[in-house]
Amino acid sequence: MKLVIRTENVTVRLGNEDIISDLNLDLEGPGLVVVIGPNGAGKTTLFQTLVGLVKPHKGKVRINNVDVTGNPKLAGKHIGYMPQLSQVNRSFPITGREFVESSILFRMKPPRLRVPGWVSRKTEEIVRELGALEFMDKPISELSGGQIQRLMIARTVVPDTPILLLDEPTSAIDPRGKLDVIKFIEKLSRNKLVLLTTHDPTVFKEKAKLLIVFWRGVKAIGKPVEVLKPEILREIYGEMVIPVKECVHLVDTHAV
Amino acid sequence: MLFEIRWLILITLAGLAFGVLSPIVTARKMMFLAAAMPHSALLAAVIGIPLSITYGLSPGLWAIIIGTPLPLIIYALEKKGVEEDVGTSVYVAATASLSVALMYYVLTSYPMESSLWSYILGDPLLSTWSDVYLVTIITVALLALLVPFMREQILMGVDRDFAVSSGIHASLYDIIFLLLLSLSTIGFMRTVGYVLEHVLILLPASLALLISKSGRDVVLFSITSAVLSAIIGLLLGISLNLQVSASVGLVLLIGYILAIVWRR
Repeated sequence: MKLVIRTENVTVRLGNEDIISDLNLDLEGPGLVVVIGPNGAGKTTLFQTLVGLVKPHKGKVRINNVDVTGNPKLAGKHIGYMPQLSQVNRSFPITGREFVESSILFRMKPPRLRVPGWVSRKTEEIVRELGALEFMDKPISELSGGQIQRLMIARTVVPDTPILLLDEPTSAIDPRGKLDVIKFIEKLSRNKLVLLTTHDPTVFKEKAKLLIVFWRGVKAIGKPVEVLKPEILREIYGEMVIPVKECVHLVDTHAV
Repeated sequence: MLFEIRWLILITLAGLAFGVLSPIVTARKMMFLAAAMPHSALLAAVIGIPLSITYGLSPGLWAIIIGTPLPLIIYALEKKGVEEDVGTSVYVAATASLSVALMYYVLTSYPMESSLWSYILGDPLLSTWSDVYLVTIITVALLALLVPFMREQILMGVDRDFAVSSGIHASLYDIIFLLLLSLSTIGFMRTVGYVLEHVLILLPASLALLISKSGRDVVLFSITSAVLSAIIGLLLGISLNLQVSASVGLVLLIGYILAIVWRR
């Protein structure tokens, strides 16, 4: 199974501003790749470009050697994408089950009136692994942000695509739950290429094979121990980088 | 008490059509845009009158031909980077102003064969069998094009980026939904009226949200509440000599209040 993400001179422009400029990225899986960067760095735009939701001003995106530039339908055959929690309209009371099952149903041919038994079984299996089975049949309007995030991860994983892009997958999950989810993501990364964004890279330090410091493009890339260094991070985060003994802790407020 | 079966058919179809449209409008947070539809429907209805007098065909058919594609203006503006609410505001301003200007022109220049009041207030009791055939075709088209894709339409409202990245052709669904919403508001204008259309587009799903525990429930409760309110409103209107559109709206409102009380 191929697990390759390649971008060639990708520039994404919003108005007159380059959000991503001349990006050349070459990632090969399996493994976990963690992308960090302050708010406004272009991390979400990067993921949206990789999955075809944003068409770059120039450049190409190739997934497993297929040109998927600006083509979400084609990119979606290879990539499972988890947007940020804030993207979800939580006021409409669909159940967690309806929410997760949609990911497989959307990839099936219409009409998608009935949910096949195997879809329900597969959904339950993944949801159970993520500890979300007990609230799976509740409406998402009654769930906490952390509970919805577990369901969002399940929804991304269920279609079993070889590449996963997870945009801040643990931002609303409590510390104990976070540990379970991180273990789950690490397990996935043994067979898949998993990219995730986070404002808390230390929790992924031991698990990630690569860490990317991102600010409108790749500012640093390498093994976490090589990249999580104050001198590298200060270029992007400035004085918000606070070294604590051997590890580096990032203080980065995140607008909700 | 005089009772015509076509009144029941018309009002039931209106409830069914708007009961299906309402949850999609709510899930996709298109309430403002949907509430703009009766404005353009009124404009289309007014344009249809002189066209009908000049070129033949019924005013309703002319209204459908002219008015159905009008909301695509909002879609085109959005594609040009204008926010949906801003585009809708411009659309409402333009269609409402033009409606009033044309109503004045029509009232002063043409011998009126269709009462403009019937479009504004709506009255199923003034309907003919031609009206029944027309709205039956509209409702069948609406059900055929929306019900099999209800899941996609609603889940696109819950998380559009995810739906698109999973292979859903969002633009196609957007256009189909806009056209059907527009077609229905024009087609049912004479039955339920300009004023009640706002209520029927918005209230059934709002009521359903109060008592539903799943997306499927919202759709079922929305359809049920819209159809029941329409039928009860018709019967109340006839028996108590009330304006039917008004009694349908009031029954739906009472249903909404009861749902709030029940939820507590």
